[in-house]
Amino acid sequence: MAPVSDRPDISVNASDLELLRKFEPVVCYTKGEQFFPTDVDHYVKECSLWEHHPDGHDEILVKQGDLNLDKLVESRSAEFGSVRYLRFVENLSLTETAQVLADQVLLRIKLGKYFHAGIGRLARGGILPRLLDGLFSLSFLLRGKVSTATAAAAELDYNAILEEDPKYTYYGRVTRQNDWTIVQYWFFFSFNSWRSGFHGVNDHESDWEMITIYLYEQNGQLIPEWTAYASHDFKGDDLRRRWDDDEELQKEDGSHPIIFAGAGSHSSYFRRGEYQAGVTLPLPDWFSGLIRIWNKVWTDTLGQPAIESLHIPFVDFARGDGLCIGPNTSQDWTPVIVDESTPWISQYRGLWGLFARDPISGENAPAGPMYNRDGSPRGTWFDPLGFAGLDKIAPPPQTLEMLETNCKEVSLRQDELNKLILTKADDLQEMGTRLKGMEGNPHLSKLYSALEKVINTLSVEVHNLRREVLENTAILQSLMQRIEATRAGKKDDPHAHIHHLVKPDDLGKTLRFDRAAETWAAVSLSFLLIAVAALLFFAPGFTWTGLVIILMLFVVAESILRGAFVQTVGRLTLILAMVASIIMFIHFWKWILVGALVIMGVSLMVNRLRELTG
Amino acid sequence: MSKRKKINKKKRPIAVIVIAIAIVVLFSIRLFQFFRPLIIEHIFQSGITGPLIAGWKLTGIGSALISSASYLILSVTGIVTLIGFLRLRRWSWVLLMAWTGISLVISLVDYFYSHANYVVMTSNIIIAFALNITDVQRMFGIRRDDGSSL
Repeated sequence: MAPVSDRPDISVNASDLELLRKFEPVVCYTKGEQFFPTDVDHYVKECSLWEHHPDGHDEILVKQGDLNLDKLVESRSAEFGSVRYLRFVENLSLTETAQVLADQVLLRIKLGKYFHAGIGRLARGGILPRLLDGLFSLSFLLRGKVSTATAAAAELDYNAILEEDPKYTYYGRVTRQNDWTIVQYWFFFSFNSWRSGFHGVNDHESDWEMITIYLYEQNGQLIPEWTAYASHDFKGDDLRRRWDDDEELQKEDGSHPIIFAGAGSHSSYFRRGEYQAGVTLPLPDWFSGLIRIWNKVWTDTLGQPAIESLHIPFVDFARGDGLCIGPNTSQDWTPVIVDESTPWISQYRGLWGLFARDPISGENAPAGPMYNRDGSPRGTWFDPLGFAGLDKIAPPPQTLEMLETNCKEVSLRQDELNKLILTKADDLQEMGTRLKGMEGNPHLSKLYSALEKVINTLSVEVHNLRREVLENTAILQSLMQRIEATRAGKKDDPHAHIHHLVKPDDLGKTLRFDRAAETWAAVSLSFLLIAVAALLFFAPGFTWTGLVIILMLFVVAESILRGAFVQTVGRLTLILAMVASIIMFIHFWKWILVGALVIMGVSLMVNRLRELTG
Repeated sequence: MSKRKKINKKKRPIAVIVIAIAIVVLFSIRLFQFFRPLIIEHIFQSGITGPLIAGWKLTGIGSALISSASYLILSVTGIVTLIGFLRLRRWSWVLLMAWTGISLVISLVDYFYSHANYVVMTSNIIIAFALNITDVQRMFGIRRDDGSSL
């Protein structure tokens, strides 16, 4: 899988299937992955169709066994606020739950599907993220969630489908916008097991993932220029990589981009590794305001790193050490072409799996490629250029032409401006001379004021025109440089458009004592809770102080393991000093004010006296 | 030769002198706090006359000895830190920051639960903020020249 820098191409007359086949990706999964891209036909046949009504009750529309893709898209009216959804795993009784959990263990033993997290996400975040993580786990008591048994049953059902029809499907779509030919590969999974299988954020029935390749036409051939993978936490320009960016974009045989899929989440990454994905806690406005004030003092005055948000770290394991699917691997793709005329793509707007009633949607199944969960059109489908920030970029062959047109337009405007300035400057001088001639004649005062106003307006106008000329000269210079560079075939830095380059964790750098850090991460939260309980029992009079001291001790212990002792001690002491300063100010504000005024007075006097004497 | 020596010598910023003065003030106060409970409990005249613990609680002598011992540790640490600090050693910055942090915790506990010592609190505040000054941190090798932490 050595990176190849030569551009592959294909005739513009090639069929959509040939185009899809030419650039179809190789997807590498993590060892232990339970779900792979499958076909919707088999999946839907295993599902029942439901409607969740606004009054809270759920109604079955088509029962399991009767459903297929044709029935899925049949026209059915629904009231506002209702949610239509599929259900892959039916409700399980207690006995069935025990049975599927036991069968899941047996299946994993049979298939040898084991996953070792290694240094888990808890060891990578600090003590605060761990506390927040505890709260996040507790939030599932209030939010709806997909049960562990559902995940197990989905795994068993998916394996039964795979055994019956062992194939890996992608849904390919070819579309054209703004001189770009856009090739999308959609992957459907019957389940997202990130939380239950890989300590991630969420589980949900069904999962849709997508990658896009952008090609331009030159001499009757289509040539790939960009690729974009849908990924957590990133959007726009950050999602795409240039085809010749060998550092970021790995390719098989030079034509097939290699994707490293997140374990359970199926999120796509350009490089193999373990990625920090995070859940940012929604904060009320007043709290965000407090953080802003804190940052003003903490960052601007004290030079410490700013708090941006409260963030729970999760690890997305995209190790690529498991099954690989695609050209030159043991498994080939089964391509299926789709577009707006495919009924299940355009006519089914519901969810492709269980509606778990999760208000923040993490555990609810996604909708199809063309729609969002609320039934609105999905940007990745109707605006694939905007999705990757490519709507503002012209295909390479058009770039030079556009630059030259731009240059011509600016040059024309310059000529126009120069003429205008000449005329207006002459007028200005003429009027100025007339104004001067009117001075000393009180009977002309009204005319004088009116002319003065006109002169002032014209003066501003000429000033702005001169400024525009200067700005245009700079623009022209820059455009000329760009034209020269383009003609010479010089390319920009392939990372120049990326604002946040996602990189896998460097585990060696993050933690000093791997095993100790991991153990500490696993037990520290429990120790903290036990210490707080002991404090409440043995020293109830010192609860708040004791709590603060215990927290500080934990933070210091953590910092030793993370190799950040010096910074942590510094920051803790600064926080204490700020608290002490507030106390001092409350008690001695009059003295502080008097002292400040005296110092200011003396310093002002010294400065003035120096000025006098010196 | 002596001229060259003078040029090579690191010049201490004013903040370092201020911190050194604050350490001396704190050292003196902590030393006084070391002697005070021992004098109140007449330990110097009569020695340890009673038990240190009664039941699960410390006696007057016990708590006097413990608080004296902790203040003695703080005083000794303070003087060791001061020596390292005046010699611009990195470890002394870390030790002083930790020492100031602990001292601030004690001051705040004192403030909330018994009697506040505002002189100690002020000295600690001055030291903490002065140690955070970029030039001081650079001088002690805590921060790089570009401002990032080492």
